Amino acid sequence: MVNVWSVFDIQLAVYALALVVIGLLMAFTNSSDAPLAAGSLLTRAFMWLAIGLVIFTISAAVDYRWSRTFSWLLYLVNLGLLVLTIAIGSGLGGVSRWVNILGLQFQFSEVAKVLMAVVLATWIANHQARITSLWTIAGAALLAGPPLALILIQPDLGTSLVIGAILFGSLFISGASLRWMGAGILMILAFIPIAWTEILKPYQKERLIAFLNPSADPKDSGYQLLQSQIAVSSGGAFGRGLTNGTTGQDYLPVSSTDFVFSRVGEELGFLGGVVVLILFTLLIWRVLVIGWRSRDPFGLAFAGGMAGLLLFQMLVNVGMVLGVMPITGIPLPFITHGGASLISLALGLGILESIAMRQGRPGG
Amino acid sequence: MGLVIEPRVADAAPSRRVWRRFVVFGIAVMIAVTALGARLFQLTVVDTAQFQSLAVRQQQGSQAVPVTRGLIYDRKGRKLVENVPIFVVRVRPGEIPYPMRDAVVERLAQLLGTSVVDVYETIDRSAGSPYDPVTIAEEVPTSVARVIAEEHLGLPGVSVDVMGRRKYLYGPLLAPILGWTGRVSADDYQELRSDGYLAGDTMGKQGVEATFERELRGQYGVQQVQRDAAGRVVSVLKTLTEPEAGASLQLTIDVEIQREAEKALEWGMKAAGLKRGVFIVMDPQNGEVLAMVSLPAYDNNDFAGGISAAAYRKLLKDPHKPLLNLAISEQLPPGSTYKLVTSLGALQDRKISSRTRLMTRGYILVAGTKMRDWNPYGFGSINIYDGFAHSSDTFYYQVALKLGIDRLGYWAHEMGFGRKTGIDLPGETVGTVPTNDWKMGVFSQPIYPGETAQAGIGQGYVAVTPIQLITAFSALANGGTLYRPQLVRKLLDSKGRTIKTYKPEITRKLPVDAGVLRTMRVASRNVLVSRHTLNFVDLPVVSAGKSGTAEYSVRDSQGRLPFHSWFVGFTPKDARKKASDPNGFKASAGTDSQLAFLAFAFDSRTRGNAGTEIAKYFLQLHYGVKKDYRNRDLLVRDNFYGQ
Repeated sequence: MVNVWSVFDIQLAVYALALVVIGLLMAFTNSSDAPLAAGSLLTRAFMWLAIGLVIFTISAAVDYRWSRTFSWLLYLVNLGLLVLTIAIGSGLGGVSRWVNILGLQFQFSEVAKVLMAVVLATWIANHQARITSLWTIAGAALLAGPPLALILIQPDLGTSLVIGAILFGSLFISGASLRWMGAGILMILAFIPIAWTEILKPYQKERLIAFLNPSADPKDSGYQLLQSQIAVSSGGAFGRGLTNGTTGQDYLPVSSTDFVFSRVGEELGFLGGVVVLILFTLLIWRVLVIGWRSRDPFGLAFAGGMAGLLLFQMLVNVGMVLGVMPITGIPLPFITHGGASLISLALGLGILESIAMRQGRPGG
Repeated sequence: MGLVIEPRVADAAPSRRVWRRFVVFGIAVMIAVTALGARLFQLTVVDTAQFQSLAVRQQQGSQAVPVTRGLIYDRKGRKLVENVPIFVVRVRPGEIPYPMRDAVVERLAQLLGTSVVDVYETIDRSAGSPYDPVTIAEEVPTSVARVIAEEHLGLPGVSVDVMGRRKYLYGPLLAPILGWTGRVSADDYQELRSDGYLAGDTMGKQGVEATFERELRGQYGVQQVQRDAAGRVVSVLKTLTEPEAGASLQLTIDVEIQREAEKALEWGMKAAGLKRGVFIVMDPQNGEVLAMVSLPAYDNNDFAGGISAAAYRKLLKDPHKPLLNLAISEQLPPGSTYKLVTSLGALQDRKISSRTRLMTRGYILVAGTKMRDWNPYGFGSINIYDGFAHSSDTFYYQVALKLGIDRLGYWAHEMGFGRKTGIDLPGETVGTVPTNDWKMGVFSQPIYPGETAQAGIGQGYVAVTPIQLITAFSALANGGTLYRPQLVRKLLDSKGRTIKTYKPEITRKLPVDAGVLRTMRVASRNVLVSRHTLNFVDLPVVSAGKSGTAEYSVRDSQGRLPFHSWFVGFTPKDARKKASDPNGFKASAGTDSQLAFLAFAFDSRTRGNAGTEIAKYFLQLHYGVKKDYRNRDLLVRDNFYGQ
């Protein structure tokens, strides 16, 4: 048997790891008063990294085609976990984002993204022959519908949009009919006014409004937007230096998670921010290359889904920090502190590696 | 897709079309990254000045420095109100490190005995900077406060502050006078913000807590502070306004006299089964109110802690109106006590003299209608001393008709009726003094002669408040000066030193001859001496006054009208009986009285005059009379038209 590890795609791992390192630097600065203490952000980040590496290795080692075989099972498990999250979940401010099990928090919506990428990729691969038909798109949408709705109910608008991005990414890359996708998007756009009045919660509407004009009332919803832009701006070209960020550990309530990029801007300056953006570009490019080289349409679709996930999350998160996107609860992949995100990404990247190792055409 | 154990073989290779998709996708990535990069460049290199200025603008602000509310004392220096320190647990969400959030909230919820969801909701509900404190719980037990303080390292962002809560030491005894303090309502806050009120502040809502809100509250200080970009106060730059501690009030009330008044009133109401009553004690020399009791009352401590909506509704719905101060806020028919006005008016207008005799029978005819006396036999030919003493209705119908309704109205206004007395309490009502103008305005009709006669005996349209009545009688007792009834004598500082003295205010000097007033004082003494008030005159205390029975409302099935009972009177400075003045006329004729009192029993319908019995008991208590002169059988409820 050929040693699959010999065709391990090293670049994918390197770019991801580089982003993780930046994430570690941020964890360090956010726990700068006691970085190596037991529960500090940094030690926890190391712990998640270790777990992530294990998961990455395992999912790379396993032949990805097993996931295709069990995709229905995975789908149902996914739905089950999401229902569980709504049923007994808790979260910041009365929402249901994570489930407490034995004192650990499990955010199933993160892993739901990767699982959905798998399920959708399976669907598309199975309908490869009729890739341009409406049914391919409609069926994929129907598959994505329930988890998306379950996440939306939590409420978590941001993550449900990510599911949408995964759906779009995998369909688009696989060659699905643009016409039908366009129609679908128009339908969704038509749905927005209804969503605004019936579905969006007041705080979500407030966030959208604050996004449009943050300095109107700096004390309320625009507060975070304004603060993060001020922080980034104060970084200048080269940043204020690690741990030199303003006043203490978390001057933004969520700065160690969703707004971590503002820390990057503040402490590592324009240079640091650009490095992050370049790394993401390289990472997404590498994902697409793996998809291109994959002879298995599953690999192609899955890569498209993952690329969609990465692009969307990066765009929305960094955009939010820089004040060009509304506030959503979407983490910045690899850099935002949090086990769920890192582990699901590790899983996703592992599957990509698995694809790369088994599908790569010679010359890659 | 079935459950296949064997992994599938790879399918067909990607097509040309897909290549285009890659290119498009790649371009999308490049566009996104470039746009973000450009925005990043703009923020960090190009527009830094704009954001820096925003950061600076947020850095300076103002901060309020609260002060403690002033206290309230009675005239002898007894404390009536305390500021009790209570512990308030507050959270500054921005100071809780994010990874510790759940742990902190859980521990807090556990200590406070509330749920995690509630705590989160309270935090999320509050607007403003994450460094603004959010009140999570008030009046936590000392033990809990101590634990939170001890665990402060594990509970960052959580603080335990001490605030003052009002404690009313005498509860319902003084509630109608003191009132209560409560949270500033959302609407009031909009108006009061500019006066320095904070969002969670308390303010006086009723009683002297309300009328003297400004003095009691003092002045919150204002500091200019330096904040960091997050809103946390870094340092205090300077003080813009010095804080002024709230001043304390010294009331004219004497708690001991208040207790005596309440005891007398409560006894009378209980013995007769009455539901509402008033007792007022005043010093005629200066208008100071020594006691004011309005029953039923409420416990203002219930309000100080934050009354529940249900309890408040119950008080509001109570038909006996415990929240109303009956002494000032409801207008009532004065009945025969009003004959003072008719008397003074007629005497001063020279319609009659102190020697004029009028014939009184069981009734007189007024414009063809029979108007009856309470005494069906009349009193024969009597002068004003006897007419007043025996409260002859037919005597006063005639006097009123001689005086005319408009002059009667004029004199009533002169004596303070139909106007606010100006007592330092909110909610005073003015009553009604009928005149032709008034009736034309309200009913588009002139006053009919029968109505004039009615007004002369304090029935019909006439309506007064107890405080107006006692103020008028005080003016009689002191020789003709109508004072503004006063509840607050002094403002004190925190050390008890006088900041300001509220001197007695003269509303009006009555344009009445000294001799006329003297006549009525003597007539008031005659009310007792003539035994019209039965054994009241037997008390070893010389007093003078007038009883009244005021009918109101609609007749019952037997044609009887319900009625209230009044007694209003005064005692001379030296109230002991003397051999040289066996009937007390000399003492009562003087103007040195320092004690005026009024008893009012709402809907008494007693066999005798409940007000008289209550007043009698008060004098017994106040002057330490050992023998009991009370006639309990007079308090049997019988709707017998007595005195």
